[in-house]
Amino acid sequence: MAVPPPEHPDFLWRNPEPKSSYDVVIVGGGGHGLTTAYYLAAHHGITNVAVVERGWLAGGNMARNTAIIRSNYLWDESAAIYEQSLKLWEQLPEELDYDFLFSQRGVLNLAHTLGDVRESRRRVEANRLNGVDAEWLSPEEVQDVCPIINTGDDIRYPIMGATYQPRAGIAKHDHVAWALARRCDELGVDLIQNCEVTGFLKDGNRVVGVETTQGRIHAGKVGLAAAGHSSQVAEMAGVRLPIQSHPLQALVSELFEPVHPTVVMSNHVHVYVSQAHKGELVLGAGIDQYVGYGQRGGFHVIEDQMAAAVELFPMFGRAHVLRTWGGVVDTTLDASPIISKTPVDQLYVNCGWGTGGFKGTPASGMTFAHTIAHDEPHPLNVPFSLERFETGFLIDEHGAAGVAH
Amino acid sequence: MADILFTQGPDELKRAPLAPLHRRLEEVSQPAPSTIRLAERPFTTQIGLRAVPDTAAHRSLAETLGVGLPDRVGEVTGDAADVAVLWLGPDEFLVVAPPNRSELVPLLQEALGAEPGQVVDLSANRTIIELGGSSARDVLDKGVPADLHPRVFPTGTAVTTTLGPAAVLLWRAAEENWWILPRVSFAEYTAQWLLDAVREHRLAAPDGVSDAVPDAVADPAPASAPDSREEAPWPATTA
Amino acid sequence: MMLIPCPHCGPRNETEFAYGGQAHVSHPEDPHALDDAAWARYLFYRENPKGLFAERWVHSAGCRRWFNAVRNTVTYEVQSVEPIGPRPPGGRPAESTTSEGGHA
Ligand SMILES: Cc1cc2nc3c(=O)[nH]c(=O)nc-3n(C[C@H](O)[C@H](O)[C@H](O)COP(=O)(O)OP(=O)(O)OC[C@H]3O[C@@H](n4cnc5c(N)ncnc54)[C@H](O)[C@@H]3O)c2cc1C
Ligand SMILES: [Zn+2]
Repeated sequence: MAVPPPEHPDFLWRNPEPKSSYDVVIVGGGGHGLTTAYYLAAHHGITNVAVVERGWLAGGNMARNTAIIRSNYLWDESAAIYEQSLKLWEQLPEELDYDFLFSQRGVLNLAHTLGDVRESRRRVEANRLNGVDAEWLSPEEVQDVCPIINTGDDIRYPIMGATYQPRAGIAKHDHVAWALARRCDELGVDLIQNCEVTGFLKDGNRVVGVETTQGRIHAGKVGLAAAGHSSQVAEMAGVRLPIQSHPLQALVSELFEPVHPTVVMSNHVHVYVSQAHKGELVLGAGIDQYVGYGQRGGFHVIEDQMAAAVELFPMFGRAHVLRTWGGVVDTTLDASPIISKTPVDQLYVNCGWGTGGFKGTPASGMTFAHTIAHDEPHPLNVPFSLERFETGFLIDEHGAAGVAH
Repeated sequence: MADILFTQGPDELKRAPLAPLHRRLEEVSQPAPSTIRLAERPFTTQIGLRAVPDTAAHRSLAETLGVGLPDRVGEVTGDAADVAVLWLGPDEFLVVAPPNRSELVPLLQEALGAEPGQVVDLSANRTIIELGGSSARDVLDKGVPADLHPRVFPTGTAVTTTLGPAAVLLWRAAEENWWILPRVSFAEYTAQWLLDAVREHRLAAPDGVSDAVPDAVADPAPASAPDSREEAPWPATTA
Repeated sequence: MMLIPCPHCGPRNETEFAYGGQAHVSHPEDPHALDDAAWARYLFYRENPKGLFAERWVHSAGCRRWFNAVRNTVTYEVQSVEPIGPRPPGGRPAESTTSEGGHA
């Protein structure tokens, strides 16, 4: 269809047996675990690292997300880390020597009510103050960016404008994982699949290793990047996390000629849509309301988002749903992540990215690697500590995080 | 006692919530006997009651109404044509009576007295849309998640549920006569939903009814609100 | 779509219900007596078990009553329900019975 995928490299990574000990063990081989290992090696020269993954590499949310990348978050703390992430995305294809189809096709966040308009314009101003490219578009300008969208007033919630971030976009998430895995492997990192962490080895208040389904692995330091299972894993180490794990679903249509040039998100009617390089429409919406680890959710959630999509894009009315799936996302009460030291020495946690951690993958790994290497947070993740739930310095991004992404 | 004044106001000032759609509801019900009948029954007297079973309040409300209070989900006491009581929750009930029976409100309030409980005139809260005809259940099955098979939903059953996305009370008042009680702010939506949902049953009618279907039915687009209001500026039905 | 057995109305579609999170978390009797850590526990920390979970639901498009359910968060099966009340419902797994910071 639109763009033929790049040639697949012949070789990606070894499948090593775990060694008896590493300087750092990362739990979870999703995007965040991989970038953490990559930056530990690339920025901090720590290469005696293992990433232990319960299933297959990047088979969790990394394989299930809808790959939207943007940095137009409201608060200074979030804008800083997500914008850093976007800058890293801009350089990673070259740095990793892998074309993972990072496409800066822009994102529109639609406003459908006066409240939306006020909130969106405020966010545009805040973004600009933080050096994030953001514009406020009128409905006519929205139509210019995305001609197939219905900007008429014959719908229940007509479009009253939108924020636009031109540098936002999508990437091919599985290729991102392979690019990172290949480079990690080259740098000497052991990527160990089918290796579930089942417990922790402790010496007093200090973690000294992990118990796994492939045996005991000693570790100088342990970093958790287990996304939806973060609270399960942390609990084994005696650490409680303010996380609720929810199902989040997404779906794709059959392949079409390129018709949809950008990414469109609507918090209000609750749907988001992009068109992947191969040509399928990629749609998603919000979490299922209950705690769930089943990697599936209710069909009514999909039905609702389809209704919203068809109203915004009448031409999608004849498209078919080809596949639906779900992941397990780790949500916090302020819709912001936790990248933090823990009450246990040499144990670090990176979680709470919830519905929107794909875009954060590079900066998440970069700051987490720094935190692990120095036993001190990077300036960008100081605000994202576990302590914020006690100090009350929450970073409420429900507005910008809005519809799951 | 503003609520009582409201339902006791002059009849000629009353306006049925679905007045703008009465003509279209009538059209889809033609010619009689049709597989589908749609009509509004506006202005019924509706009174919300709260009283915990096995308390003095519960007993005296039941006594005053003379028909008892239902004691489980789905149950309706009394008579749809006169005073009926629907179960809303373990300690919550809705009295539905013909229009202009608001004298029941002070009667029940007096019966409740100082006991813990509640008697509230809710007549303006919901209207009733009557859906009848042999295809009625097929129409409802398209949008109601509850099981409407007579085995679980015999005549005389009423539950709170949803029709499409709208919350409604659904009451099988007679074998082929379903009363749908949306809140007034959802009434137009619910009626439009039904007008749309009955279309295929109208068109499929075996007796050649489809030929006689007037334009309004053949037109799939729901009438937009302002236009339809002009069509019927004044209620066709008053109490 | 889950079929949730409301204790008052019987089994109904999930779309008629809203979720209320972990059950049996009481408001601290004397909030002023809590330090920041304990207050944070009360506000932000909830059980997140993989398996049986005692949680609250409200039958919002039905009888509008809150009730407690024990539901499996992996299979999504509802194991038991009972009307709202102070007592943890039967069959509740021992490890998730501690409500955080709530009890004075
Ligand atoms: C449907 C859906 C759509 C999404 N869309 C977007 C989007 O458009 N944009 C965006 O920015 N974000 C999106 N996200 C969110 C994003 O996918 C996540 O925030 C992000 O992937 C989480 O980080 P991760 O890649 O490391 O997680 P995962 O890939 O889930 O990695 C965690 C890994 O830990 C492993 N693990 C768990 N327990 C153990 C154990 N005991 N031992 C060993 N390993 C273990 C798991 O198997 C898993 O592989 C979406 C998520 C979903 C589900
Ligand atoms: Zn109920």
